[in-house]
Amino acid sequence: MASFPQDESRLAERVCAPLALNRINLSFFAHVAGDREVLCMARPSGEAAFTLLRTRAEAEAAVHLQPGTAILSIYPHDKRPEIMGNFIRSLAQARVIIHGLASSPAAISAVLSSKRAKIAVRRLFENFHFPAFPSPEEFFAAQSPPEELVRKVVATYQEKVIKVYWIVPQPDLDLWGMSVSSTDILAGFADALLELGDLGWQIPFLVAIPGLGNREFLLSFSTAAGSREERGSEIRRILKKHLPDLRPMRLTPVAGIFLHGPHFGDRYGIAQILTEALEKAHVSLLALSCTISSISLIIRQQELAAAQLILTNTFAAPVVAPVVGSRT
Amino acid sequence: MSGKYVLIVDDDPDLVETVAMMLESKGFEVGKAYDGIEGEEAIKKRRPDVLVLDVMMPRKNGYQLCKELKSNKWTSDIPIILLTAVGEAVPTTSYSHAEGMATEAEDFIPKPVDAATLVEAVQRLI
Repeated sequence: MASFPQDESRLAERVCAPLALNRINLSFFAHVAGDREVLCMARPSGEAAFTLLRTRAEAEAAVHLQPGTAILSIYPHDKRPEIMGNFIRSLAQARVIIHGLASSPAAISAVLSSKRAKIAVRRLFENFHFPAFPSPEEFFAAQSPPEELVRKVVATYQEKVIKVYWIVPQPDLDLWGMSVSSTDILAGFADALLELGDLGWQIPFLVAIPGLGNREFLLSFSTAAGSREERGSEIRRILKKHLPDLRPMRLTPVAGIFLHGPHFGDRYGIAQILTEALEKAHVSLLALSCTISSISLIIRQQELAAAQLILTNTFAAPVVAPVVGSRT
Repeated sequence: MSGKYVLIVDDDPDLVETVAMMLESKGFEVGKAYDGIEGEEAIKKRRPDVLVLDVMMPRKNGYQLCKELKSNKWTSDIPIILLTAVGEAVPTTSYSHAEGMATEAEDFIPKPVDAATLVEAVQRLI
């Protein structure tokens, strides 16, 4: 975890560039503006990344290495809040300490202690049906040892310009932020997501990082449904019902940009190119998640055109028509 | 392309989601599976009009599944598009191009896959 609270506009230079220069892949990357980053990499790279970031850190910055973590992901979530809610509820039931949460267009991932990963998986099997694995034991048996996964090179890419399958803009979103102080409250947030699921709403983006001092958890999510007014009042009602003591903040209108693969988590340098491009275009990142093979960004709606322009000039990618509407 | 069913089998869930969105926007009905064995099960449940199959997957890779489907009289005529990482931009891979050529797949599209190329290939095979 790295925090550069005084200098949030230099994410590319302070965090992404040194890792890219040293060819360190980012398996997981979560960022909320004004706070810290959560970065995950395979075990052999963790110490190196820690040293690099600490060397660059100034007095006010904080860099912390959390060894022995695992990333647990489920998919597909189809942007359905009830799936994200059940995932978070399973982790809360397993009493795991979550070091980070991030969504991709298909998956939701959590960073947690490796020692608690099996307990969390058992809870997930109680709350979900996994067609590929009838039981947790069969799931565990099918996993390759982590050391083998790190060693195995499946493919390498050498592109002059990084190719992206799709850049998908979503212009009309809200960004909600709140501070969660315990797993009980996290379970309350999971219940709120389940209720949003009952309404048929979508959550295209969700990210969470530990706050400074690890006393709380900063949670941000975006919604897309109905009118902006309807979203605002309905989400406030649901959050208040399940989390009466929280003071959620809403930022609107914001826009999402979703960049899909390939293999973003396994290829160093992509996050650096992306954050550098956005900084050059003076686009402020409100929140970012990178997991599985996608990077999801939340920016101010008025900066969407500038962000799209710089990203299409930076990556080789078709831009699709904006995603509009939801299941409601 | 209403009513035509395309099954996508890839262990990258974001790619499956992307390709599914792409094909659904063109009117295809889309099924999703995340490794070779899941793909096999999905084909047993519903026979696809076209199968989009990744090569590098856990449990059963795309070459294996393709060979099995092509050697089975009930499934040999399912058109298969293999998504292969053997290409200009991918100089290193643990999968053999020659093995891919021997699978009798109808088409090969190198990764990183171009969205329009994939949709065209699917439309051509239906």
